[in-house]
Amino acid sequence: MNDFSEIENELMKLRPVQLSHEFAARVEQAIADPESREGKIIGPNRFRINRVALGFGLAAAAVFVLLVRVTTDRAPGQGEKIAQNSPAVGTKSTLSNQFIPAGATQVVYNTRDEGLHFADGSEAPMRRVRYQTHETLRWHNPGTGASIRVSYPSEEIVLIPVSGQ
Amino acid sequence: MDNVATDKDWKVCFSQLGPGLLLFARQWVRSRTDAEDIVQEAFVRFWRRNHNVDNRALLYATVRSIALDLIRRDSRRARREAQALSDSEQAVEPQFDFADDSQCALAAAVDRLPHDQREVLVMKIWNELTFGEIGAALGISQNTAASRYRYALAALKKSVQLR
Repeated sequence: MNDFSEIENELMKLRPVQLSHEFAARVEQAIADPESREGKIIGPNRFRINRVALGFGLAAAAVFVLLVRVTTDRAPGQGEKIAQNSPAVGTKSTLSNQFIPAGATQVVYNTRDEGLHFADGSEAPMRRVRYQTHETLRWHNPGTGASIRVSYPSEEIVLIPVSGQ
Repeated sequence: MDNVATDKDWKVCFSQLGPGLLLFARQWVRSRTDAEDIVQEAFVRFWRRNHNVDNRALLYATVRSIALDLIRRDSRRARREAQALSDSEQAVEPQFDFADDSQCALAAAVDRLPHDQREVLVMKIWNELTFGEIGAALGISQNTAASRYRYALAALKKSVQLR
């Protein structure tokens, strides 16, 4: 670090611009005025973000319900055609309306540590970590061989309590 | 919670920390007025919640958090700030009180540093935080903070030697 002592000394000679009297007075007023306590403070955006994620989730669920209804409506017709070719289809037809979960994947493609924040009403700081993921849910119908796959982006905010600081 | 500041000595505390906090806030917003708004919110919030005044990492993390929230909330402002960062070699409103041309050139060199190095430098030189405190405020390890500081000094030294 001795190599940098000269440049460090030069930097320390630079003095940041001093506070203006107007600014000091403004802060004094804000501290003294209880009305201004929470009015200007920016709260965490977690609830707004969660609504976005909830919206994606609801949209994905609606798509899933629509796809299941379309598939089950078609299933009897397909079953009749197959029954003409194979007597064993009767056992399969009981399964034709059943979609079985075949898997779910969640790919986290971005993680961002957004530093320390104060949650509403919390005295202690919390670390806010934002996860951006792409989730895929799959269902399979063993009777008809049909499958459904629903993919949607998702964003999750995790607040981790910080202690020991 | 020892050493909690009282209303009586807030002026002393603010006058000591204010200039450094303002400089730190201006690493995200180039306008002095915006930086003052950020510092005011952070300082008042910190004060109201009776946090330990020795917990400087938390205070600087609060400033950083409010600054990032501010520029995220207003994307137009963020674009403008980013444009200002890329277009100007030096902020329109000076961040330092210059004594001579060499100091002016050094401040310009500081301004050209990568953002992650510059914020560590500002916290270390003009706010006198330890690398541990800097790491806690930025969510990075102490070694990473020290490493960024050394990179910043090396870049500045090279810049000064070239003059």
